Amino acid sequence: MRLRASILAITASLALSMAAPAGAQDALRIRLNADIRSTDPGVNRDANTDGLMWHVLEGLVALRADATIAPMLAERVDVSADGLTYTFPLRRDVRFHNGQPLTAADVAFAMERYRKRETNWRCRGDFDSDVTRLTAVETPDPHTVVMRLEQPSALFLTMLARPDCGQAGIFHRDSLNADGSWRAPVGTGPFRLGEWRRGQFVELERFAAYAALAGEPDGLAGNKTPMVDRVRFTIIPDDAASRAALLAGNIDVLPDARTRDLPDLRARPGMSVHSSPSFDLQIILMQTNDPVLRDVRMRRAMALALDVPELVRAVTEGSSRPSRAPIPVGSGFHTPAMSVVPPRDLAAARRLAQEAGYRGQPIRIVTTRRYEAFYEIAVLAQDMLRDAGINLELEVIEWATQLQRYTRGDYQMMAFGFSARLDPSLSFEMFTGPKATQPRKAWDNPEMQALLEASMRETDPARRRSTFEAMFRQLMEDVPVVALYSSVTHAVTPAHVQGYRTWAVDAPRAWGVRVQR
Amino acid sequence: MRLRPNLLIGGTLLGLVFAMAGTALVWTPHDPVRTNLRRRLVAPSRDYWLGTDEFGRDVASRLMEGAVTSLSVAASTVVVALVLGVAIGLAGGFLRGWTDRILGAVNDTLLAFPGILLALGLLAVLGPSRWGIVLALGLAYAPSVARVVRGSVLSIREREFVEASRALGNSERYTLLRHVLPHTAAPVIVLATSLFGWIILSESALSFLGLGVPPPAATWGNMLASARPFMDKAPLLSIAPGVMIATCLLGVNLLGDVLRDLLDPRDEA
Amino acid sequence: MPGACGCSAEVLSYVLKRLLVALPTLLLVAGSVFFLMRLIPGDPAIVVLGDAATPEAVADLRIAYGLDRPVLVQFALWIERALGGDLGRSITSGEAVGPLILQRFQVTAAIVFASVGLAVLIAVPLGMIAAWKQNSWGDVAAVAGATFLLSIPSFWLGLIFLLVFGLWLGWVPVVGYVTFAEDFWGALHYIVLPVATLALIETGVLIRMARASTVEVLRLDYVAHARAKGVPEWRVLARHVFPNAFAPTLTLIGLIMGSLLGGIAVIETVFTLPGLGRLLVEAIFARDYPVIQGVMLFIAVIYVVVNLVVDLLYPVFDPRVTAG
Repeated sequence: MRLRASILAITASLALSMAAPAGAQDALRIRLNADIRSTDPGVNRDANTDGLMWHVLEGLVALRADATIAPMLAERVDVSADGLTYTFPLRRDVRFHNGQPLTAADVAFAMERYRKRETNWRCRGDFDSDVTRLTAVETPDPHTVVMRLEQPSALFLTMLARPDCGQAGIFHRDSLNADGSWRAPVGTGPFRLGEWRRGQFVELERFAAYAALAGEPDGLAGNKTPMVDRVRFTIIPDDAASRAALLAGNIDVLPDARTRDLPDLRARPGMSVHSSPSFDLQIILMQTNDPVLRDVRMRRAMALALDVPELVRAVTEGSSRPSRAPIPVGSGFHTPAMSVVPPRDLAAARRLAQEAGYRGQPIRIVTTRRYEAFYEIAVLAQDMLRDAGINLELEVIEWATQLQRYTRGDYQMMAFGFSARLDPSLSFEMFTGPKATQPRKAWDNPEMQALLEASMRETDPARRRSTFEAMFRQLMEDVPVVALYSSVTHAVTPAHVQGYRTWAVDAPRAWGVRVQR
Repeated sequence: MRLRPNLLIGGTLLGLVFAMAGTALVWTPHDPVRTNLRRRLVAPSRDYWLGTDEFGRDVASRLMEGAVTSLSVAASTVVVALVLGVAIGLAGGFLRGWTDRILGAVNDTLLAFPGILLALGLLAVLGPSRWGIVLALGLAYAPSVARVVRGSVLSIREREFVEASRALGNSERYTLLRHVLPHTAAPVIVLATSLFGWIILSESALSFLGLGVPPPAATWGNMLASARPFMDKAPLLSIAPGVMIATCLLGVNLLGDVLRDLLDPRDEA
Repeated sequence: MPGACGCSAEVLSYVLKRLLVALPTLLLVAGSVFFLMRLIPGDPAIVVLGDAATPEAVADLRIAYGLDRPVLVQFALWIERALGGDLGRSITSGEAVGPLILQRFQVTAAIVFASVGLAVLIAVPLGMIAAWKQNSWGDVAAVAGATFLLSIPSFWLGLIFLLVFGLWLGWVPVVGYVTFAEDFWGALHYIVLPVATLALIETGVLIRMARASTVEVLRLDYVAHARAKGVPEWRVLARHVFPNAFAPTLTLIGLIMGSLLGGIAVIETVFTLPGLGRLLVEAIFARDYPVIQGVMLFIAVIYVVVNLVVDLLYPVFDPRVTAG
């Protein structure tokens, strides 16, 4: 009797001690290069915050890997013939992390909070602009949501799916405190928020009752079945330290390895490198109001004096393709015409500069050390332009100051980078607009403005594509900016991690990833 | 006994640094600012004595250029700190009363400000520049000078020759400048040498944080900051500027000791 | 300044007077920071919004952060809340500033105290022995070594240590931090390199200081007197020399602590430690006004307190001191 009891006890404790490690082993540890800012979607955020929040919240629609839109919480999207009414029948099998089923009332509640001024939702203005104006969110029955626009917009669904606006993620009202302030996200995503130890890590736990779609994972859409019990986003600000952590087995995914470290990492047994071109854009901006740069010949001279392929090769160590078009190489709207990069022509550059009356006076290019790439672009540009007799002077300032000057258009030239734009209209819109009301815009051209707005209303992809090609051609004539490249994301995983993939937005996705120790 | 080795070593080290700077004014092996993409992170060779950095620039040339920048920034800053500090210290120590209290409050405020905040503030408002750094660091170190000067003045003002000067009917200002000031010279000179060292250190620290003399100008602090991502691939990039800073500081400190022994043998602090 | 009396009433009134006098300085510091930050280009709204900063979004956010009101009003509001113990919330992370500062300060304090403590333990005895055996080879070596140590830039030494012990040898982790409460041995691992770095350099400074003040005291009459009376050497050292030599060293320790709080930012950056210095630097770059204001106020208070403590301890070691 006693023997059996003790055998049972021993077996039980063995089983328990084995169960705990097994649970602990089934955790995916991903590096985060800085702490997230908050869990309130689209309000106080940065790239890291977005990349974590999309594990917890989902919206009516979501982005596929190629930046097209797929239904997520909606069963499908029905657009009326006049493009003014969007009907979203909701899926019936979706539950929130607190067990409550998803209803149309929840969608209306979340949308109302986003549209309130006090929430400070980053995209509030985008749904209340001349291009896209959301006039009503209706719930005709508990499983259908209807949204009405003032005029047709090709961007509406993309805006709803934007990760930097929290994907307009639908959260349960339990996410708020009694006074309406944000408490913690109660969403429908494959993971729920676990422990957030500031400055150290953020943990997510598998949501067992997650209703996954059929098929494969595709961007932020498709089948997002969680295959690990826990995800720990470990905060490691230093790049060298994160590499050391990967090699020491302290983390399982390094989502943002530096290009220069890849040869070494690839050589290690079992390590796999995953690379994807992102949808961001590194660019040189020029102030067309500036007395020296006002003359288009001067700007053309500068563009011709740059050896863009060489510059891009040097800055990205060969991992990015040079591109003079603002629409990213990975986008479906990037046509072959947009891949043409005019070769360097020093003679023409010198001639044009002379015609424009350039007498060798220094032109200042603003840059910062905060983002290595911006700094390198400026240094290399300075060097290359010198060969054409154009004298660039570096003005290296810190990031917040540079942002201020960018917002005011207070620069002659600036080495800059835009975060990912997932719709081609937005790729142009980010630097196109009237300077009178938006001094940060580099391209102030009323004709192009009209074309841009037309592209935002036009829903037919073929027609949009030809509009963008026309805009690109004019861009190469006007040269208000010199687009350079989109960066490439490199992730490195050891042998025991399976199913990890990178994609157009530079942040990790933990669903569909298995850990096999 | 201790004088001679200190003088020898300190003098040699500092002399070396000054020689580097002096040479750099007329010649460097390569252009310290010119980039060369085909020669990035090259190992030391006959052509590039210390190799090249991440932009293909010659490290040796940048080191020499850095000497010029670091020394000139430090010297200018010492001047600013001295002028401000002596002014505040003299006025407060000699005039006393409300002047002293107000100046003391201002001094304490400046002292409580971490240099970083001051530097960032001034640089952001003035634009990134050498003079911004000089002003910011000068302001940051002036209070230390003011304190020393004030203390010195306090102990001197009651001495006989000051009384005598007053008795003779000289104005306060005359007494101040003609009699008090020269006697504060000794501790101030000693402090100035320490200041020189601290400022070189502070400038490199600021550059390391991203606030120093703006690139592409070469300063040792800048070079250290840029070298950080390449620490394991090209350690020489981190070691060279650090060695230069340490050498310069050691020379300054040793010579400072010699000066101290000469000018104020009693006060060895 | 109360003399060797140590009467508690006198001491208390002295402390209160000092604290009262410090208030205007604190106000001046807080005010200067407040206005300086708002003069600098770039504000938190722009930093948060980044390259998508439309004028409307920026304006809305500025209202949310209370930045649209006149600066004096903002300052008055901040003072009012600060007096009630509320230093606001960080714009970057949303955390309450007060607890955040205390949390980060623990890290910084641990490193500062550990390194100064270590340095004092090594440097003071060494410095005194060097002074005692003045001009011997040991003395020369000590001074040379000390001068060499204090000439090394601390952050460079930190980088080298990190490279050698962290990356090449792998003896210590390259990044991270855990509080002693959570994991004593783990915390030791993370803290060893930064403490060693700082301690080495401070040892250099303190050896020279201790040596210098000991030399001075040894020359004094009453030491010669005691020796002449036949008092054993060790007693001369312990009873007469040590306490008097320590006083100026104490002042220096106070100054070091003060300056360290400013310079610690670089060490914390090198070792990526969640300390107060790094908090300030990052807050400045992110224009996180509430954090900057809170930290500056905190540093000013620390500075006042440290100076006060040093001044109070002085007469304990040097009964001759009566003038403050």
